[in-house]
Amino acid sequence: MLHHVPNSLPVHCVTTATRLAAVTSRPNEDQKRIRKKLNPVKMCADLSRTPRNLLVCERSSFLDEKNRLSFQVEQLRFNYKVSLLLPECGSAPSHLESTLNSFSRFYLVKKLPIYELLDKDFLQNAVYQGSVYGLSFGTRIDEDNCVALMPNGRLVLSLDKDSYEMLGFEGRPSRFNHRTCSRFVVPVDLKERSMAPGSPGYRRLLRALSSHLKLQTDFLISHHPGGGASLKALLSRYDWSERRPEVCSRRLSDLVCPDLRSCDPHSLLEWLGAADADVSCENSSSSFLSTLTCPEPTTTLAAALSASVSGLLLPQDVQRLVEQLRCHLQQEQTASWASVTVHGFADGPVSWGDEEHGVLTGGENFYNLLMFQDHTYRLHLATGPQDGCPP
Amino acid sequence: HAIKRKIKETETKQTSLILLTVGAALNVDVLKYDEETLSALLRVPSRGLVKLWSSLTLQGSYKNQTCAFRVLQVSPFLLALTGNSRDLRLD
Repeated sequence: MLHHVPNSLPVHCVTTATRLAAVTSRPNEDQKRIRKKLNPVKMCADLSRTPRNLLVCERSSFLDEKNRLSFQVEQLRFNYKVSLLLPECGSAPSHLESTLNSFSRFYLVKKLPIYELLDKDFLQNAVYQGSVYGLSFGTRIDEDNCVALMPNGRLVLSLDKDSYEMLGFEGRPSRFNHRTCSRFVVPVDLKERSMAPGSPGYRRLLRALSSHLKLQTDFLISHHPGGGASLKALLSRYDWSERRPEVCSRRLSDLVCPDLRSCDPHSLLEWLGAADADVSCENSSSSFLSTLTCPEPTTTLAAALSASVSGLLLPQDVQRLVEQLRCHLQQEQTASWASVTVHGFADGPVSWGDEEHGVLTGGENFYNLLMFQDHTYRLHLATGPQDGCPP
Repeated sequence: HAIKRKIKETETKQTSLILLTVGAALNVDVLKYDEETLSALLRVPSRGLVKLWSSLTLQGSYKNQTCAFRVLQVSPFLLALTGNSRDLRLD
């Protein structure tokens, strides 16, 4: 059982820069603590206890061959929102604006019967191509049945107990069940031979989804343009609409900024959250509403750009944005840093990789990348109470 | 450590901001209040989360007007409250 201690959160720090040795503090004990974290939170009379969260902090450089940033970006498959903060910038430079506006479009399919994801043509033209991302929309992971289709061909169903029993297909209890098994996860690898069209496993799952449990949800689906997948046949049979990710931007004036290299992780993320939410850090003596302040020492930026794009966003587009921001930092002498925050979907059955995800008091699974002109960066990956450890 | 919260205040008549005091024993910060959506961002130390949440739940009226508080999200990361996918609207 891990406790939330006031003024601190469990933090797993890894540094992979070439000039510093990789540091993991007491890995065996950390692994034990992580395993304990996955056990359900027990009821107790201590009102000061709160559900555990995880924060992984990493410092590295883009020039370091061992940096794992591309892998970590690729692992968070279902991205809802990407926010960026650029200093000394009143409006988005043209190359960044075009990058934000060129995030892949996605599709909303109304009332899609989930057995359609097993259609032979869809498997052949989309799933087997390895670039399709799908997620049930309007379903809450703590209340409803949720579905995720991942580019590696894995289909994950997160079901309540009654639905799981009606489905009649093998699954496992959720890792985050508390006392009673109220939620079950059914993972299926559609690329496995045992799930090839016509095989006994395939026919059982198809019968389960089309007869036993007629699972039907609104569905968000997207595919990486270069991946060769085609969704036309599936979309043509149902009520679908193409959506563009929504881009917003605003200019911030006189932004008080901490020392980003030395600021501790929690204060840094709090300051970034305040900037993103347009929360004042003034703490003026005439107001008693808030005591939130910017961590010392501070500098004041005359102008900053806060922009965001939201929808069903693909990791490949996030990677492209990161590369463009690196170019921007090298070209613009006035910009010494850039911040990108990527939020995962709160109601997805998975967060990072194939790790099961849930919602307790919140469904946060996000990371923040703070890049500097000298190619170094600070990466913070955070998850909520019902998540595994980020990569 | 601070816990950030997002609340939605449903009122029949009143629209002004309500300052919360839980027996004056907790430091609660009102980081932001949006009159249009009647939603606010609150910050409270971890040890006071349950007490504040309970107080909000039990708060059924203010100055003889009925009201109700619905907690939308709780997180130790303020940054997490700015990217809740449940806010995604695709009408």
